[in-house]
Amino acid sequence: MYIIVEDDPSVADALESLLSGAGLPVRVFASAEELIHSAPPTPEDTMIVDLGLPGMSGGELVRHLEKAGATPRVIAISGKSSRTIARETEGLAAVKILRKPPAADWLEAITA
Amino acid sequence: MGELEDRRTAVSEARFESLLDTAADGVIVIDETGRMLVFNKICEQLFGYTSQEAIGQNVSLIMPPEFSVSHDRFMHNYHRTGEKRIIGIGREVSGMHRDGTVFPLELSVGEAKTAEGRQYIGVLRDLRSRRAVEQRVSQLQAQVVHMTRLSAMDEMGAAMAHELNQPLTALLLYLQAVARQVRACHADEKPPSDKMLGVLDKAVLEAERASHIVQRMRQMVEKRDPERATIDLREVVNEALDLSEFVAQGATVTIRRVFGMTPIQVDADATQIQQIILNLLRNALEVAKESEERWVKVSIGSDDRSAFVSVTDSGPGFSEDVGKSLFRTFSTTKKSGMGLGLAISRAIAQNHGGDLMADPGGNGQGATFTLMLPMHHSDEAEEDTWG
Repeated sequence: MYIIVEDDPSVADALESLLSGAGLPVRVFASAEELIHSAPPTPEDTMIVDLGLPGMSGGELVRHLEKAGATPRVIAISGKSSRTIARETEGLAAVKILRKPPAADWLEAITA
Repeated sequence: MGELEDRRTAVSEARFESLLDTAADGVIVIDETGRMLVFNKICEQLFGYTSQEAIGQNVSLIMPPEFSVSHDRFMHNYHRTGEKRIIGIGREVSGMHRDGTVFPLELSVGEAKTAEGRQYIGVLRDLRSRRAVEQRVSQLQAQVVHMTRLSAMDEMGAAMAHELNQPLTALLLYLQAVARQVRACHADEKPPSDKMLGVLDKAVLEAERASHIVQRMRQMVEKRDPERATIDLREVVNEALDLSEFVAQGATVTIRRVFGMTPIQVDADATQIQQIILNLLRNALEVAKESEERWVKVSIGSDDRSAFVSVTDSGPGFSEDVGKSLFRTFSTTKKSGMGLGLAISRAIAQNHGGDLMADPGGNGQGATFTLMLPMHHSDEAEEDTWG
């Protein structure tokens, strides 16, 4: 399962189009809180999470899931500067970063 | 008796002559028919005629032709109706030098009832040097406004990049999705589906969203001459607030708008007014962010003469000392200079015939900054004539 956590509806919709167009199973959440209140992800899932979510941030969500022991594969997306991204992902286990706007094919990057 | 009177008259005439010639302003006396009786030294310099040449001629000699025609009519009107269009009032008019140069003059007119009928005394001041200074000042002001707009732009830069990132990201992902699907259809030798068209439509919408953001920013940044127009203050302020909210997205300060239902019309340059509002708002948001209640109130009101926009924050207000130095250029209580912004804002307001006032608040009251602008009056059709 591919889990998208993104507050911008257009970006979330476009990501969903890309993944589901390739025949992949997708679920979309607009916030970290929404995901937590739903079924927790499993290690088999891939979570694509915007670091700059309002409320609980993307980094906090990953930390929260790590603590709960339900760590999916994480791909963080962000439009911020590399310094900000480094600060926001500090202390997290291997996280793949995709920067907005995309410079390469994201489907390949996500499924690789 | 008669001899003494003559002597007195001669003395007072000599005094009058020397007064005329030492006067810093041009002085002209005309009779009821518009004939010039007095033409002093300054007038000789202003208009290029000697007093001998000018005296006895109609005053239209020193007016541009378009005014000389109406001047006779205005004098006639005044004699008939007694309605004063210029006497005792004074206004800006155009004069014409012998060589045809037309230039601005400030003219004040007085009236004297003499034994030889009514006479009019005109005092003339050349406005050219003052005009040049005014022009220079307004040029400089435009430049500084441009600069502050640029520095505001700099601050907005990060917010902008983020804002543009979203539609661009969505746009590129939609296009990647469609490209894949088209390729897949091609391989299976199937025609493209309606679904792909739907995705393309969404991609176009995202491109439009991005260009809309750029357009809005461009309007704020472009340098141009001030353009006065009759505007509804509520609309102009609203737009500035929208922009500010858009830049401060995700911020936790509430902006309350207290607007009436009726349009509030002022004659102003909308962009410059927005510049002031954005400046006040930026300061207020900064202060409100640190306060407990976290709000900024923007209210608009008016009386017969003036329109007001007040920006109040939920902060602690500021001390009297700070209040005194607030508008001084470069004075600031923050690291990122707000003094310059306030000084410029006040200059812009005054340039519009208005002002910018500060109420320091304190004792649990936040500070209030009020922009005052004169109301638009539609019946104020000013004529630039000598009449």
